[in-house]
Amino acid sequence: MIAVLRRCLPAWLLVLVGLWSAPASAEHHVGTLDTVGSDTMAGLILRWGELLSEHYPGLRVQLQVAGSASAPPALTAGTTLLGPMSRPMSEEERQAFVDRHGYPPREIVVARDALVVVVNRHNPLSSLARREFDAIFSETHYCGAERGIHQWQALGLDFPAGPIVLHGRNAVSGTHGLFRREGLCDGSFRPEVNEHPGSAAVVEAVADDPLAIGYAGLNHLTPGVRALALRDPEGRLHEPTPLAVRRDDYPLARDLRIYVNQPPGEVLPVAERTFLELVLSVEGQAIVEEMGFVSLPAASLARQRRILQPTRDET
Amino acid sequence: MHDSSSSPLLRRRLRQGRDRLATALITAGGIGVIAAVMAIGVFLAVEVLPLFWSSSPGEPEVSLASLWLPQPYPGLDEPVYRWQPALPEGEPGPRFSLAPLAWGTLEAAAWSLVIAVPLALGAAAHSALFMSRRLRAHIKPTLELLEALPGVVIGFLAGLVLAPWLERHLGLGLTLLLLLPPGLVLGGALWSRLPGRVRQRLPLGWSALWLLPWLLLLWGLANGLAPWLEGWWFGGDLRTWLAAHLGLDYASRNAIIVGMAMGFAVMPTVYALAEDALSGVPKSLAEGAQALGATRWQTLWRVVLPAAGPGVFSAVMIGAGRAVGETMIVLIASGNTPLMTASPLDGLRSMAASIATELPEAAPGGTHYRLLLLAALLLFVFTFLVNTLAEVVRTRLRRRYRRLGGTP
Repeated sequence: MIAVLRRCLPAWLLVLVGLWSAPASAEHHVGTLDTVGSDTMAGLILRWGELLSEHYPGLRVQLQVAGSASAPPALTAGTTLLGPMSRPMSEEERQAFVDRHGYPPREIVVARDALVVVVNRHNPLSSLARREFDAIFSETHYCGAERGIHQWQALGLDFPAGPIVLHGRNAVSGTHGLFRREGLCDGSFRPEVNEHPGSAAVVEAVADDPLAIGYAGLNHLTPGVRALALRDPEGRLHEPTPLAVRRDDYPLARDLRIYVNQPPGEVLPVAERTFLELVLSVEGQAIVEEMGFVSLPAASLARQRRILQPTRDET
Repeated sequence: MHDSSSSPLLRRRLRQGRDRLATALITAGGIGVIAAVMAIGVFLAVEVLPLFWSSSPGEPEVSLASLWLPQPYPGLDEPVYRWQPALPEGEPGPRFSLAPLAWGTLEAAAWSLVIAVPLALGAAAHSALFMSRRLRAHIKPTLELLEALPGVVIGFLAGLVLAPWLERHLGLGLTLLLLLPPGLVLGGALWSRLPGRVRQRLPLGWSALWLLPWLLLLWGLANGLAPWLEGWWFGGDLRTWLAAHLGLDYASRNAIIVGMAMGFAVMPTVYALAEDALSGVPKSLAEGAQALGATRWQTLWRVVLPAAGPGVFSAVMIGAGRAVGETMIVLIASGNTPLMTASPLDGLRSMAASIATELPEAAPGGTHYRLLLLAALLLFVFTFLVNTLAEVVRTRLRRRYRRLGGTP
């Protein structure tokens, strides 16, 4: 309920992490760094900021959460050097940045996330094919179903009996867009889908109703719901397990990124640099797991670190 | 001492100056409010107008027909009403039909009035005419205080407590609906059969209190009857039965839930205004009627209610205005499904809720943005008309009371 409340508040959310304290030992580790962007990643950034202030009491993170779409304009305008986003930057957004600064933003992947289809914990359904998802959720059936599935019996279940009750995110969210592209083959959702302001609300609604099905972010799973495995056309099942998400073996996995405004040949200010080092450290990745996302393997962490080298040429 | 002659004059001047200042401030305030209201209307109109006579490149075309009539869309068999504003880049245009939003707004308002008006008017009539003065002195302010309850609180209770509960206890809900009205009538009938001594202990003016145990008893009875009713009549589960026999899907966030929550929000307003209108009816009328032998019911129905009719009407109008503009309750309790169905068990999506969720994301100057402002303008005009109508009717009522020799 608190999670829902939080999401219903106006999109402006200003969070201050850490306190100014006497910078005695780490003289040069002093400063405030701003981030503007994704609300999916708000909790992550917040926890990373706490970790940062623990290690370097002079540093603090200031976080503005207004959705992924708010990151590119802030980066372009120069109001922030770090822009967390739960989706890749679009070509237009990248071009606007290049036009202003003369070089592209650096993109580092900081964690993996997945979107899951959830049903009530009493629901015996274990897997879903994309065609079935489309038949349940869309009115267009672009993925090839002949007609819609509106009853649980049509999926071959004895229980629950009755109409399928649909829950989802509202149209402005990235989750909604991704499911529309991947799950509905670019079709459109049925107007019967209950639109909730946040993934937590979707999960809560599904947990309340045995007839419900919905889609949400992996980190919002609760004991009241079960995430379904996705069945590909060959009949293989893809469970949303951390391993499958990390290996890209789960179709609805995605990267969580931070876009960095770092001119070629220069290093970032100390606050930003320290923060990103921490994010890509073992400790930082432990926080990723703790928040319900999936951490990156060591090899790809090293690759992300190389992206931040000052000498790296951007193409 | 030496200025004793000039001091009264000075003081008068001072007082006149103060009066003039106060008058000026009050006038300025009044004009300011009117100007602000007009400015809102003008701003909305100016922002909305380009929608119809200049279309910016890359933005979907909008016409009166595309807003209010069913449209054909790729992938669908027949023309439909759709409000699907945000589609990913490179998609065939968004679908902008205001019809489902207008429908949702009116449907939500209608259901909330269906629930609020009988209860509020009943309560108003009872507390204005039958209730004991002492009890009324407590009950009326309490009910009016409920008006201050924020919509978001009521919305949360409806969306996160009432909706899941009713979903699980649909049978009980129906049983209560069937049992309560006859149960209360039965309570009245039993009371009139009671011996006079007991009846004196339970005076009509205090029935609001001594009916409470009776209500609890009915609740308990419904609780016992519900599983039996559901099993015997509806084959075990009312929700499945509805879907199988009537083709009605029960959406957990539906028009009835919205109606109950918003009815609850509207009720104190309607009650307070209707109560004022009813208790403002000059006492001479009611007393005269009763002196001529009319019963309490006849007095209420034939004398007091017609006299206060315009006031009651304006109370309902103001309730309707509030219900149409209410945002948080619909946003949380309605499921936000832009449907155009008459079934009260389906969800709905109102204009106000759409504005609240979508306006922060809509690009200023774009079609989506202007359409949301058009919805805002429609809401503005509607509530403005309804409130003006209510006010006109009320002023007329006040004049009538004065003619009849009443106090207010």
